[in-house]
Amino acid sequence: MKMEGIEGDASVGGAGRYTLNPMRINSEDILFCVDVDAESIVEMKTAGITRLDSIKQAILLFVNSKLSINPDHRFAFATLSKSASWLRKEFSSDVESTIAAVRALSAASVYSGQADLTNLFRLAAHEAKKSHSQNRIFRVILIYCRSSTQPHHQWPVNQKLFTLDVMYLHDKPGPDNCPQAVYDALVDVLEHVSEYEGYIHESGHGLPRTFFRFMSMLLCHPQQRCPQDDCDIPKPLMKKSAELANGKDNVHVSTTSW
Amino acid sequence: MSFDGFPPFISAQLHYLINHFHEKIKVEQVSSGGKTYAGGLDRFTLHIPYCLDYVKWDIIYNAEFPFASPDIIFGPEDEDFHPLHMTGSVGEGGSKFRNILSDWNHKDPTRLLALIQELRDQYMAYQKKRVGEVDDDRLTFEISTICSREGIEMQISSGAEKPKEVKFAVPLMDMNINKMVHGFPWRHPQKIYLQVIYPVGKKYSSTPSPPRLKLMSTAELGALFSIEDVKLPSWLDGMCMAEYLPHLEESLQKQVVESVSLIDVRRRFIESLTPLFGRPLEADPVFCGKATFLASSGSFVFLVHFLISTQFPKQRPAVMLQSSQHISPQGIPKKSPLLSEYPWSPRWEASQMAERIFDFLVDESLNFKRFCNESQPQH
Repeated sequence: MKMEGIEGDASVGGAGRYTLNPMRINSEDILFCVDVDAESIVEMKTAGITRLDSIKQAILLFVNSKLSINPDHRFAFATLSKSASWLRKEFSSDVESTIAAVRALSAASVYSGQADLTNLFRLAAHEAKKSHSQNRIFRVILIYCRSSTQPHHQWPVNQKLFTLDVMYLHDKPGPDNCPQAVYDALVDVLEHVSEYEGYIHESGHGLPRTFFRFMSMLLCHPQQRCPQDDCDIPKPLMKKSAELANGKDNVHVSTTSW
Repeated sequence: MSFDGFPPFISAQLHYLINHFHEKIKVEQVSSGGKTYAGGLDRFTLHIPYCLDYVKWDIIYNAEFPFASPDIIFGPEDEDFHPLHMTGSVGEGGSKFRNILSDWNHKDPTRLLALIQELRDQYMAYQKKRVGEVDDDRLTFEISTICSREGIEMQISSGAEKPKEVKFAVPLMDMNINKMVHGFPWRHPQKIYLQVIYPVGKKYSSTPSPPRLKLMSTAELGALFSIEDVKLPSWLDGMCMAEYLPHLEESLQKQVVESVSLIDVRRRFIESLTPLFGRPLEADPVFCGKATFLASSGSFVFLVHFLISTQFPKQRPAVMLQSSQHISPQGIPKKSPLLSEYPWSPRWEASQMAERIFDFLVDESLNFKRFCNESQPQH
């Protein structure tokens, strides 16, 4: 994936030395778009917990973390079935209202059949203009749950008004599904629409812990990101000698699990 | 701020005032004058910044008679403030004020701002006149030496219990502080003021006591340096403001320049953390006062917040850990207390500071992990 450092910190990550450039960054308006197709209530590996349950938890953890970094970030919520629609339209930095929105998340009882992201991008572009006028940047975090339905859209090229991150939860690959194709389609979408470097993570393990870990990596401020391939966080906090001697304790989750 | 409950014409004027006045005005004590409340809210008190304090003026509209200009009630100490009757060099101002009232157009949202600005100018002139009339030789002398400085505001304060005092708000330093910090840090110009309070006495005593001095600044300057930490030069016997102010300004100038250079010292520190802690999730690029990293201990993933004060490196950064995986039933994330009990020396290289903090956190994170898991099992 290519890096698109249009404004803000353009320092190189990974191989290059990190520099904190004295360039102002903006507070974020973040729109969570949660896939509520019937596949969102597939159980995680932990019994009794569905993907949607984990998503609700993950959102609460994310919002709390993000606000502790900067209490000026704000959040709103939408859902995706065939297309996207608002769940909570007003952007707010109030945790209570996030809790209320998350409680209102519920899955559709039927399979949606398709996933058209055009309306999501339309909503996002509209809101992004408002955010920009308030000196904020706009980000969409799409949490997608379908193992065989590739998302599609009709978004024009060069309309990059917001950053897009994707978290993809899916079943293990098998003869009846195609999560790899879906993943590739999501990568294409991200590269097509995202203003700053967008991040995409996927998990087919069904472990909430892995999901939360990936969500934490999405906490990165878009204006201070490095290319995803150069991402080296979270760093394990362990004594140097232990790290050398005991490689297996270094939990480094790989990005693909095919 | 929303002004629900006001009729639209009042709300429009109030909004315009708040958004366009050059300083922050507070609106309090909102109420309705009408018996039935049907017209809506039409009375409030404005707290208007003046002389590093506030003057409180009650603004009284009448929701049922919108064409009339509002009445204004000034504070009890200002019984003698009659803007309609101002004469002398400010007579022109008096008539300007009369014109604003007689030409009142309730549909024009800019009117309240025009009114308040004019009144404040009148108030400043009124206070200046009162201070000039004070029978105190020393004060008269002081005023004559500094009144050429731009932007000074003054105020006489007295009450039944208090002795009469004259307060000056003296803006300091012509420096454009905003331009000195990279990255366009502030929307509004940051300023430093000296507040000088003289007791009013009848006779010029042989050893006049020094006035009470206090440095004050616009609130956001705190990100650069703390005004409370500035040590005021001493006021020597027999000094006057004209002598004292240049001393103070020279010393403040040095302080501001040093504070600006300390930003980069903090910047280098944050950068030195990255080989050990990875790229930060987010770091303050303008004042370099905070940075948050993502770390792990086994499969436990957590945030590491660094808070770096303007006293760095004399003062070590405070660190706080926050779980990215645990949350209480009330929706509150698990956090550690502020940690700062680690080995520290301001003379170390940044890389050594980073290593010492890292080693400390290796151990501390195990404690924190235990704490998080005890109250709630990890997902």
